Amino acid sequence: MSRDAPLAAHAVNRRRGKSAGLLAAALLAAPVLVGLAYAIGASLGVVAAANDSQPSLARIARVLGERATWDSVLWTLWVAASATGLAVVGAVAVAVAFRGHARGDRVGRALAALPLPMPHLVAGMLGVWLLGQSGIAARAAFALGLIVRPAEMPPLVYDRLGVGLVLTLAWKEMAFLAIVSSALLATRGAAAEEAARTLGASPWETFRRVTWPLLWRGLAPAVVAVFVFVAGNYEAAALLAPSDPLALPLLVAQRATDPDLARHADAYVASVLLLVIASAAVAAHEWVRARWEPFVP
Amino acid sequence: MHFDSLTVRRHVTRLVTVPVLAVLAGLAACGAHDGLPAGQADIDAVRGLPWDSVVGRARGTEVVWRMWRGDPSINAYVDGWVAPRLRERYGIALRAVDGHGPELVNQLVVERGSGRRAGTASLLWINGETFANLRKEGLLAGPWATRLPSAAFVDTASPIVRRDFEQDPAGFESPWGRVQFALIYDTLRTPLPPRSVADLAEWIRAHPGRFTFDQGFAGTTFQKILLYALNGGVSRFQGGFDSTRYIDARVNVFAWLDSLRPFLWRRGETFPPDVAAMHRLFANDEIDFSMSNNQNEVITKADHGVLPRTASPLLLRDGTIANTHFVGIPFNAPNAAGAMVVADFLLSAEAQLEKQRPGVWADGTVLDVARLPEPWRGRFARLGTDPRQLPRDSLARYAVPEVSPRYHELIAADWRAHASAFTRREGAR
Repeated sequence: MSRDAPLAAHAVNRRRGKSAGLLAAALLAAPVLVGLAYAIGASLGVVAAANDSQPSLARIARVLGERATWDSVLWTLWVAASATGLAVVGAVAVAVAFRGHARGDRVGRALAALPLPMPHLVAGMLGVWLLGQSGIAARAAFALGLIVRPAEMPPLVYDRLGVGLVLTLAWKEMAFLAIVSSALLATRGAAAEEAARTLGASPWETFRRVTWPLLWRGLAPAVVAVFVFVAGNYEAAALLAPSDPLALPLLVAQRATDPDLARHADAYVASVLLLVIASAAVAAHEWVRARWEPFVP
Repeated sequence: MHFDSLTVRRHVTRLVTVPVLAVLAGLAACGAHDGLPAGQADIDAVRGLPWDSVVGRARGTEVVWRMWRGDPSINAYVDGWVAPRLRERYGIALRAVDGHGPELVNQLVVERGSGRRAGTASLLWINGETFANLRKEGLLAGPWATRLPSAAFVDTASPIVRRDFEQDPAGFESPWGRVQFALIYDTLRTPLPPRSVADLAEWIRAHPGRFTFDQGFAGTTFQKILLYALNGGVSRFQGGFDSTRYIDARVNVFAWLDSLRPFLWRRGETFPPDVAAMHRLFANDEIDFSMSNNQNEVITKADHGVLPRTASPLLLRDGTIANTHFVGIPFNAPNAAGAMVVADFLLSAEAQLEKQRPGVWADGTVLDVARLPEPWRGRFARLGTDPRQLPRDSLARYAVPEVSPRYHELIAADWRAHASAFTRREGAR
């Protein structure tokens, strides 16, 4: 009995601690859940509805039946995936190249982190100034005699592939991923890599068998966060994305401010789609994480 | 002891449900109805009172004015000229906040959903389809506008001032200013600009990649100009919305645009989002024309360095749309009396004169200057004009009115769908 008492007390404490943690988590989630409930209610015409609208599934069916909606979803997925992919490549390259303690390494890491505090709106403006057909790159090409008129510069802003938007967001998000990557390597990588090299692994083999497995497992949550953030980014898309297809956040804004009041609630349906994309990314991460083999270097 | 998955799930369910219900209950409690909405109640309360009493009620209050804040010239006029005078003369603290067009409607629909008597804004800058939607939804308080002392001098003889996109303001909005659509071109780059819709088509074909229009309000107005010009003039669209007529006319507009798509900027596969982007492309020599719903915007924008000094407004002889913008009071305005005093001041000869100055905003007056007492009549007559301004007789000759807002609403959405389908078709070839 006397030996069991501390164990029981520990269990009670643990349960209380867990309850408090769950309560905190629920409170944090509440605004999202309320927002989601509101968006679904508005999609159905139950809340935030015009006077003459009746609750129905018609709006959801109409928005989901529109080609523009799915063009927008696919285009947004393309931009989010390619920008996130480029950002990961850049971040890993920075982390590996500037992993040491030398001054050059510190400067390299600091430079790579520079875009981090920059607002996305400013990053978008920089994208326009740099990549527009009359931007800095075009002016440099003109000075070098490569082009004569702005239209000869390959279109990278408002372009249907979203190249300018992808490059801008990749550059902006790379900073965050580079910091996470550098921290991962600094805390976990050195000893394992050294062991691999001592055992005769080439630098490429070391990267492939030690550095990359270690990095991708650690980076995965940050990558999901970046993907979700890029998919939902409005500011940079507003400045750099084409008018067709519309990026999903722009579609939400467009529908919410359509001259036709009857289309305003379409924005709620589109915003729920955006949330579905974000949730799917998080769920995919959880699914992968539950199945990956723990990495023991 | 450990938590099994069922226990955890039960905890999570309870812990998630409780706060969500609490928040919803809170929202519902906030939403309890409490009599007539504040704005309408205020207007009803002052209906029989003399104007001095309205001013008395407004004294020492704050008026939140939700308006478009995208133009530094307009902001400077409102914040730097109107607001100090209101404070000095009426003790009214005017606070202009951002929000325009459909955003205003959304905001008020949400506020109505909350059920609270009083909202946040007491005055709104509106016109056209925003007025139509607000009226349809019963989100404006009134009538009040005709009882403003300054309303006696409004140019009611002008159909453009008397009507808002063919709608009778019915005292639910008070006119504030008058503008006319104009293309913007550079007199150096394009010394011989096109002067008609037909000339414009020729010019676009001869200058591939140098013309486009935005996907915002100005671009839609440009399409409505085409709607009139390519379908026998504005008179065919007056007298309310006609669905059959619209569908027939739309075909001509889209056919005209489709025939020019390969010659538009970026081959018409993408369009700038708004006039700000148009101005940027124009200033950077990526396109040769920008556009504005205010024929004088080019002057203030050139003075601010946004557009080149050599930029100038251009009217198309087929007719360019002129319209009036208004101020309205929302149904739940917390300070309707204060908003009425502000609206009256905005309509005063003094405020209208200042607003019309080329260096200030160059926004046209809605007053019938000929009926104004001296010294105001003389002051308007002596108002300096900028050599870049279009002559008044040209503006009057080519002005065409707005028609039912339904045309505006439909052509904007239909164009998006049509443009997208056209690009897909062309891309598939």
